[in-house]
Amino acid sequence: MKKAPILRSYTLVYLLFLYGPILLLPIFAFNDGKVVAFPLQGFTTGWFSEMFADQNLRIAAKNSLIIALSVATLSTVLGIFAARASVRYAFPGKAPLMGLIMLPLVLPEMIVAMALLVVLLSMGVPLSLFTVIIGQVLICTPFAVAILTSAFQSLDKSLEEAAMDLGETAWSTFRLIVLPLVMPGIMASFLICFTISFDEFIISNFLGSGQPILSVYIFGQFRFPAKVPSMLALGTVLVCMSIILLGFAEYMRRRGIAKAGGKDSGGFL
Amino acid sequence: MTFSADRPTMIEFKDVHKYYGDYHALRGINGTIKAGEFFSLLGPSGCGKTTLLRTIAGFEDISSGVIMIDGKDMANVAANVRPTNMVFQSYAIFPNMSVEENVGFGLRKDPRSKEDKAKAVAEALEMVGLKGFGKRAAHALSGGQRQRVALARALILKPKVLLLDEPLSALDKKMREHMQVELIKLQRQVGITFILVTHDQEEALVMSDRIAVMFEGEIAQLADPETLYRRPNSKKVADFIGTMNFIPAQVLSETGDTLEIDAKGLGRVTIDASMAPPARGESPVVGLRPETLTLLYDGQTATERETEGIIDEVIYFGDMTYYDVYLGGTDVEVRLSMRNVPGRPVLDVGTKVRVAWSPSALVLFR
Repeated sequence: MKKAPILRSYTLVYLLFLYGPILLLPIFAFNDGKVVAFPLQGFTTGWFSEMFADQNLRIAAKNSLIIALSVATLSTVLGIFAARASVRYAFPGKAPLMGLIMLPLVLPEMIVAMALLVVLLSMGVPLSLFTVIIGQVLICTPFAVAILTSAFQSLDKSLEEAAMDLGETAWSTFRLIVLPLVMPGIMASFLICFTISFDEFIISNFLGSGQPILSVYIFGQFRFPAKVPSMLALGTVLVCMSIILLGFAEYMRRRGIAKAGGKDSGGFL
Repeated sequence: MTFSADRPTMIEFKDVHKYYGDYHALRGINGTIKAGEFFSLLGPSGCGKTTLLRTIAGFEDISSGVIMIDGKDMANVAANVRPTNMVFQSYAIFPNMSVEENVGFGLRKDPRSKEDKAKAVAEALEMVGLKGFGKRAAHALSGGQRQRVALARALILKPKVLLLDEPLSALDKKMREHMQVELIKLQRQVGITFILVTHDQEEALVMSDRIAVMFEGEIAQLADPETLYRRPNSKKVADFIGTMNFIPAQVLSETGDTLEIDAKGLGRVTIDASMAPPARGESPVVGLRPETLTLLYDGQTATERETEGIIDEVIYFGDMTYYDVYLGGTDVEVRLSMRNVPGRPVLDVGTKVRVAWSPSALVLFR
């Protein structure tokens, strides 16, 4: 079939709209001028030095790191339980239950954040990094479940039976056979949850009680035109980190499927 | 057959039932499997043969009844401590381990020294013809090699019973026939009780000392291959094992030792009572295997009985030719097989022929 030129132009415009702005980030991060506009003024790494010198930015980065690591760990652990249960066992109400677990994927995050805020405040729970973590776990767990379900599904049940048959208990079978084979899936889930949590804004803003958290902090800094170029420098760093992390996660996921001898069925990249 | 009936019992089933919800998968299994026997569970898919194997391994609980292995009730014995090991249909080779790690997996809690275990692994690999494959990655093996690894991994633990769940079904025909012979040799060498699950009747006949034919959760007949083939106890078993011609018949008279019957197209014939399994209330038919019927060429005469017929169909196999023949001017059609040897031309459709047969080959189902 001959490709229609209009479809080709549409695709090009679409991709440009999607990735063009991101390409502007590094361009202006290295631009020697306070105004984010063409023509470019010359090359500088000054915005990067300014960014690294910012004390509040460091605190925000540290907080975000604490949140992201906690969320990634908790979501992945919960994801392991849910994925294992949904792949291996049949129990009453399984379909609606799994549906409810996956629902936050499509639920407006705003609603989750507002509802949590109301409940937490009425319960008298003080807002802190901990409340942000709770909220983000809710958002990240469906991603963990989706990735880990595919990891557990590619595992042949008779491998576990074979290990039991050869004298292992249920627990040692899980440790010696299941865990190593789904480990790439666990790594992928951890990395993706980490990335989602790291740039999450709504819940961080609603439940963070004004604590410096990276996404919220960046948004705040955009009020000051002088701060914008150093934020672009930060953005450049974050884009690079995200690409590396997601690439690594996808690599782990594919390796896991190949290792267990399964066929690739989906994934994020 | 080398099997002798006086060997000690290894496995005993006493009225074993298994339900999956409302589905009655095993409906009162009784029987014994002898020590050192090559035993097959044969039946179409869904007959319960794999379920029965898995209850022996301990992967499935039974709903009622008793399974004894080597004199011990297995009711509260978990799969990981039963004296059985299994070769899975998918082989279940651990993909994250090398061949020798797979084979040595069951020795993890073995108190022997590392060197002794390595020696045991090497011996097991040699036994299955994979000497020198120890360091290979498991996923780099062919189907036949995987199966040998699965065998070595199970046999290294010297189980009392080796369970094989359709182990040859994933192999191509040549490899399958080769492995059938290998398995028989291996079983004789190690002397362990082998229980094979298969839906392939030929495979069961070739390999087994005894076979349990299963239909719909019940054992229809438990016998050695020759008995099963020559004296099936029901029309259903006869139909499942090999090819059998069924001819409508009437029972004329019956004494203790013999029966006089009238089979359509064959005429009156007297058969031995041993060739008439217990009556089931079905309309009587006699069964006749294709190879017990012979076409007579000019100048040949039958040693026992002969009947005229007309060839309706000729199926040429190279070494054999199958003829479908209408018997004695009736609408009864039988299939007979002839070896293609010199001096025996393949005959055409429509040829009038004489068919020789022996009353002793007839089985009566009623």
